[in-house]
Amino acid sequence: MRRWTWGILMLAVGVPVTAAWAVKKDEKLYVKARNTRVLKSAVPTADVVAVLQPGQQVTWKGADPKNAQWHQVTEPGGKPGYVFQTNLSTRPPDMELVAKDGKTRSIDPAAFVSSGAAVKALSPGAEKYGKEKGGGYADAVAQIKKLEGLALKVTPVEIDAHVKQAGLFPVVAPDTKLGPQAKKAVK
Amino acid sequence: MRSRMGMLVAAGLGLSLTSCTQVAKGLRAANLGEDANRVAAAAEKVQSCDKLKVEPAIQEEYALGSALAIHWAQQGGGLMLSGAPEEKLNTYVNTVGRNLAMQSPRPELRWTFGVLKDAKRFNALSAPAGYVFVTHGLLQGVENEAQLAGVLAHEIAHVVLKHALHQYVSVKVSTCKGAAVTGAVVSTVASKVVGASRADGRLDLDSDTGLMGKMVEGTVDAFGKGHRKDEELAADALAVELLLSAGYDPREFSRLLERTSGGGGFWENHPKKEERQERIAGLLQARRENADPLARVDVASLQRPALPASFTATVGPGKKPTGVAKDAK
Repeated sequence: MRRWTWGILMLAVGVPVTAAWAVKKDEKLYVKARNTRVLKSAVPTADVVAVLQPGQQVTWKGADPKNAQWHQVTEPGGKPGYVFQTNLSTRPPDMELVAKDGKTRSIDPAAFVSSGAAVKALSPGAEKYGKEKGGGYADAVAQIKKLEGLALKVTPVEIDAHVKQAGLFPVVAPDTKLGPQAKKAVK
Repeated sequence: MRSRMGMLVAAGLGLSLTSCTQVAKGLRAANLGEDANRVAAAAEKVQSCDKLKVEPAIQEEYALGSALAIHWAQQGGGLMLSGAPEEKLNTYVNTVGRNLAMQSPRPELRWTFGVLKDAKRFNALSAPAGYVFVTHGLLQGVENEAQLAGVLAHEIAHVVLKHALHQYVSVKVSTCKGAAVTGAVVSTVASKVVGASRADGRLDLDSDTGLMGKMVEGTVDAFGKGHRKDEELAADALAVELLLSAGYDPREFSRLLERTSGGGGFWENHPKKEERQERIAGLLQARRENADPLARVDVASLQRPALPASFTATVGPGKKPTGVAKDAK
């Protein structure tokens, strides 16, 4: 297929090919990851002001002068707070699975949290196809189903614990209540 | 007779010079008889096949991705899932992979990461809908979590950028055009593909395993030489973004590439490792020096975490990679 054709297709579905930055104060930014926490101050253990989902927008106010990895924003409800740098994006994520009209650009952040369970993983046709081919393919069907079970158990709770242990950035977060954060031991 | 054949030949040449629609209209208007009408009909069908060049629906992507995942698992000798240590290994790879994927532009897919038993090849594979596999051999060549994250991020990028789906769409179009040129829709598969070209371009793969087999196996064949060079470079660029987003040092991904044998031969579509490393370094440098506070990266904050002891115990001793640290498919 000719490349320009795909270029048009990619533009049509809004797939970001490269990152674009250059944000100005009071411009809107998108939240990237599930359960993004807006915190009262620029430290990861601060009180939670709001919890946002991918595709929701915040108003950017600037980087914290003391810690440039935290950025001051105003959440959709108007409350000020801080979000970790890499949780913010100038481009919206693709949210085709949760679009109410079946199109790719209609974002419904509220539906996002439950969207993972809405789509069956190994498709029924593929399962039948693999079983009909038999031999190693039928074995592969059973193995992938088992693997999917293991993968589903890796939730944002497990990811958050691993991230803390490895010293990575706090982007993906577990379900979080507003107010003070519970202090849990890192596994 | 000679002049009629000459006109048909001219019309045939015209197929490559002008649009099928124009040729078909011209032939029909010229009223040259049944042969010309057949050529005109074929030209119209070929033109109609271009309607298949649409992004597949998400259900179609899940069906294709699922079937491709079955293929990759079968070809990789099965998945490492025997006993608790191997299950724990897969859980660890899913933890690293899902953290990256949830920060990608497609966070809502059901991302699944798995380890193939293949200990000989140093390889990673992906399939639409969020399936990513690494071989046992690759894990033996990984020195730290940042290197593993680099490989997973590259494969996540292929899924996000829908590179395999593009191969699949090409298979749909060529199947349709093949049916159009031969003049008869003799099989159910061809009939459904041609039918889709007259509708919204989408196929319900789940409803027909024959159709699924033809499309999936065609896509597997189309992957023979891997992704195109520009797709590999685009996947590297997005992988760097994902690594920086999560807090991994992309230079570790580059170090892993250094230890591979590079492109060429069967991997002729892959860019040279030197070019990939240069681009990765350039992307990191640009982010490091970026004046925008949202884009600027503090390299000192990036991590290269050690692999857990259980990883090394299950994977076995490290070894120098002998293949290309990227997609076989």
